[in-house]
Amino acid sequence: MKIVVVGNGIAGNCVAFGMRARSRDHEICILSAEKVPEYDPCALPYFIGGDVPHEAVFRKSIQDYRRHDIDLMLDQRVVAIDPRDRRVTTAQGREVPYDKLVLAHGGQLFIPPIEGIRLPGVFNCKQLDAAKQLREHNGRRAVVIGSGAIGIEVAEALHKKGFQVTVIELLDWVLPALFDRETAQRFEAVLADSGVRVLKSEKVLAVEGNGTVSGVVTDKRRIDCDAVVVATGVVPDKSMAATAGVDTERGINVDRHLQTNVADIYACGDCIETVDSCTGEDVMFQLKHNAIDQAAVVVANLAGEPVSYAGAYAFARVHFGRMHAVSFGKSTLSTQCQLGDLKIVERENGPDYLRLILKDNLIVGGQAIGKFADYAGFFMGAMRRGDDFAYLRRSRASVCSLQNHYRWAQRLIGDITGLC
Amino acid sequence: MTKWIVTDPQKCTACHRCEIACAMAHHGSCRPELARIRIHRFENPAYNVPVVCMACEDAPCIKVCPVNARVREVNGSVVTNTNRCIGCRACVYICPVASPAVNPFTGQTMTCDLCMDQEDGPWCVVACRVDGALWIDDGDRCSLQSARAQAGRVRSVLYGAPRVRAHKKGHL
Repeated sequence: MKIVVVGNGIAGNCVAFGMRARSRDHEICILSAEKVPEYDPCALPYFIGGDVPHEAVFRKSIQDYRRHDIDLMLDQRVVAIDPRDRRVTTAQGREVPYDKLVLAHGGQLFIPPIEGIRLPGVFNCKQLDAAKQLREHNGRRAVVIGSGAIGIEVAEALHKKGFQVTVIELLDWVLPALFDRETAQRFEAVLADSGVRVLKSEKVLAVEGNGTVSGVVTDKRRIDCDAVVVATGVVPDKSMAATAGVDTERGINVDRHLQTNVADIYACGDCIETVDSCTGEDVMFQLKHNAIDQAAVVVANLAGEPVSYAGAYAFARVHFGRMHAVSFGKSTLSTQCQLGDLKIVERENGPDYLRLILKDNLIVGGQAIGKFADYAGFFMGAMRRGDDFAYLRRSRASVCSLQNHYRWAQRLIGDITGLC
Repeated sequence: MTKWIVTDPQKCTACHRCEIACAMAHHGSCRPELARIRIHRFENPAYNVPVVCMACEDAPCIKVCPVNARVREVNGSVVTNTNRCIGCRACVYICPVASPAVNPFTGQTMTCDLCMDQEDGPWCVVACRVDGALWIDDGDRCSLQSARAQAGRVRSVLYGAPRVRAHKKGHL
């Protein structure tokens, strides 16, 4: 059987190497649009800031592919899939036949339609090439468009390199997908203290420059700068899948076995839309741990075991300087249009802050800063188990039993939050 | 894993000898914040839970580390590669029981390596004076699966009973 994996990212490699670990009989081929072995995009902001050396960004070397007998075709961007003849075509004109196809090509950087966004001096942090350019760039003033996790990490990296950094966020607070306003305000205070300028509710209208970037114009002001970093998120690449007639909505549609509607085509990683393991909603988290989980499910299904995917989960941490924060599950914004009894539990102790979002006495999400963040795993456990805190409050006196190995974790949550 | 640490919260008296032994074994210091084992104490009713890395089979800390510093050793334990760790604490936050400790001097995380460099085996086990509270097992008394379950580190414990979930409309 010939397995062709499109995409040399984390999901693609986990599929290829996972499949190889199970059997040496199959022919496995990875088609990579880039020219390097697998690297970790999560490490790129730290690479830019100099925390991580170049070689540590990589998860595999060329020799690893050879040793595991995986045919890695570099610089081959797949443009079309022919499911009838079972063949993919690359932009470079190669045709590769397959028996089973795995789409793991991930997402593309979302580039907002702004005038001058293609000027030299506008960088991003999506791929290694772009990160290298930014790392080698010497300048004094940088503007980061977008304050998601990547935006904040890049801002920190550039701040460390001695840049004067301005972060521009379209919405009303930083990290809007991760944090509620109250958590974000605490984070913003830390950014401001260390000299990073944060501009909220502000829209970038144009990137100015003659030959290279010289400034950014927003609806409120003009900012001088010599570097712009676009960190406005990632959108899944659906056009290639569509050539095979694969169903797509926000991302590629898959069933519980991560198979698409076209026979023998599977998909995993950032390019698919999947379900939230706690709420069952359709979601696109595009996080590394979900990609690894999904790859394991694809491997099992390729090997003939009908394993179902339990669903993705949201978990992200951000830090700036000495402040560490974590976010999991849903934020208040994303629970706003749902039925149910919403309750917010807040705890504050000096710089430490905890915010839990409960719906009908179940934890559905939360954010924590500082010491409280250390307990994130306990809260996530309660969220995923569906611990009913109204019930737990009533049964406060019951002792820990050997049959219930997480009762102490529930007691710990009770001690911290007073919920039970 | 060939050997694993088994804890019994019903027996532990929270004397903290294991913490001090751990800090001594790894850092030559008796500061409990340098220990990779930690005891959570509860009162009414008393219950002391020794928390140590159980090197989960499907370890989430390995998956979330942005710089791939969490690695599984030959002996089965999962440790932090201090040449790579940038101290982002992702592994602490994703761990169901916050088992990785943060080294107060370096900011990097550290977890149980089963004292792989020590001749006598894990120092915490040697230091424990309560019979049956903390021991190292190779399958004689307690399987790895049940040791992990007892420490709250398996899927069934983390997720509880499987819940019925809504799934994507269409092709199921």
